[in-house]
Amino acid sequence: MARTGVKRSNWIGRVLLVDLLAGLRLTLGYMVSKTVTHHYPDYEKWVPYQRHRGHHFIKTNEEGEVNCVACELCSKICPCDCITVIPFENEKGDRRPKVFDINLARCLYCGLCEDACPADAIKLGQEYEVATHHRGTLVVHLEDLVKAPGKAGNGGVVRPATLDRNGGLRSVTRTRPKDAGLDWWSRIRRER
Amino acid sequence: MENVLSLVPVLIKMAIVVGVLLLLPLPLTWLERKIAAHIQQRPGPMRVGWHGLLQPLADAIKLLTKEDHIPAEADRMLFSIAPVVALVPPFLVFVAIPIGDPIQMFGTEIALSISDLNVGLLFILAVSGIGVFGTILAGWASNSKYAVLGSLRSIAQMISYEIPMGFSVIGVVMLAGSMQLSQIVSSQQGLWNVVVQPIGFFVFFVSGLAEAQRIPFDLPEAEGDLGAGYHTEYSGIRFSLFMLAEYLVVVVLAFLNVLLFFGGWLGGPAFLPATIWLLLKVGFFIWVFMWLRFTFPRYRYDQLMAIGWKLLLPLSLLNILVSGFVML
Repeated sequence: MARTGVKRSNWIGRVLLVDLLAGLRLTLGYMVSKTVTHHYPDYEKWVPYQRHRGHHFIKTNEEGEVNCVACELCSKICPCDCITVIPFENEKGDRRPKVFDINLARCLYCGLCEDACPADAIKLGQEYEVATHHRGTLVVHLEDLVKAPGKAGNGGVVRPATLDRNGGLRSVTRTRPKDAGLDWWSRIRRER
Repeated sequence: MENVLSLVPVLIKMAIVVGVLLLLPLPLTWLERKIAAHIQQRPGPMRVGWHGLLQPLADAIKLLTKEDHIPAEADRMLFSIAPVVALVPPFLVFVAIPIGDPIQMFGTEIALSISDLNVGLLFILAVSGIGVFGTILAGWASNSKYAVLGSLRSIAQMISYEIPMGFSVIGVVMLAGSMQLSQIVSSQQGLWNVVVQPIGFFVFFVSGLAEAQRIPFDLPEAEGDLGAGYHTEYSGIRFSLFMLAEYLVVVVLAFLNVLLFFGGWLGGPAFLPATIWLLLKVGFFIWVFMWLRFTFPRYRYDQLMAIGWKLLLPLSLLNILVSGFVML
């Protein structure tokens, strides 16, 4: 396709190797441009956008009770059957989950549970580091879900981070006010 | 006694040259990886040492501790001497390369080269031609189809490009009236040869790239179609000898480009020692070679041959003709 447009009379450019020089100019431009790599996990970490569908979390109300009413709609709509809910009646007479397990290894993070939830309880949050050495730890329980980080407030940025040496598999962001507004996308060099 | 004493500076110079050349590939691999990375908008090695400066050292330790494997069907003797054969010529070439005018030290005059041969250029071209034997032997001894194909290509490439390379320096030799490298440099006192001999420089540069088997002419080790070409079967320390040779050939080429066409150590600013100025130029050329490597794709085999025989050879002959006429 590229050949058809080239005229034979363009020989001056070919003799002076114009296209090779254009290529060299381009790579030289890239050579002096900023790098776009994330220094993950022990130096920088990507904070995802608010709409990111990561590790689930369950919202609580003002009294610290979970919003979930154990209607099991999430477990029914789940396309990969990874949510287990067992309801019970607490001392106030409310229907609450006794067991709320999510198998993260089976979950495909589609977000249907979030859509189906009538009580604004289960959500998909910003956490995306779920790697582990044991499959058993991939089944998370109610207390893990309550503690899990929520949606990213102002996501889509790179934050300074350190590797969590105790957990080993997680990168923890450090908050430094001056890095808050770092626009990572502005680093990408694009040809006009 | 007098003779023995006169040997001392030569031995010291040899020790320095060998030491520097053995260590030089370490920073060069780092540089090459950095340039590759930055062209692709990534930072390259960052973790070992400041900006990954110690990464080549870590790689060297890894290479030296790896299993030194010889394939069962290989010719064991040739297989083991091939890397050495590839490595020796780049070292030998540095015998004839001067890095500055003679200096005064300890009351005697010390030449800044091991031996400034009066046929230095011829010696360099001849010795660097031997380097291809390493490639040929490696390919043949490996008894592997990829390695043989790689060395076949390299033979054809070497034959095709030695000729224009030799012809392209004839113009320089005609201008200087000598094949001694220090004379060639001092003949460029007023005007660098690249201004007088642009075609000669172009031909020398391109055929030099092909001689060093670097992209866009790295067909002998085209990783896309030949595995790794002639060193497919090599591992560990033998492989690192090949890499060493490859980087030293690049250094030799950069030196030759500077000495023959860019005035050697001449023409620098007054505050810089001439040798530093020369090394800066050489560094620039090394950088250019690496820049080219990560810009261009590899030429096809027939294109390689066409460039060598149909473009560079006539150009170099024309260059000799024209410079002959002008000199008359």
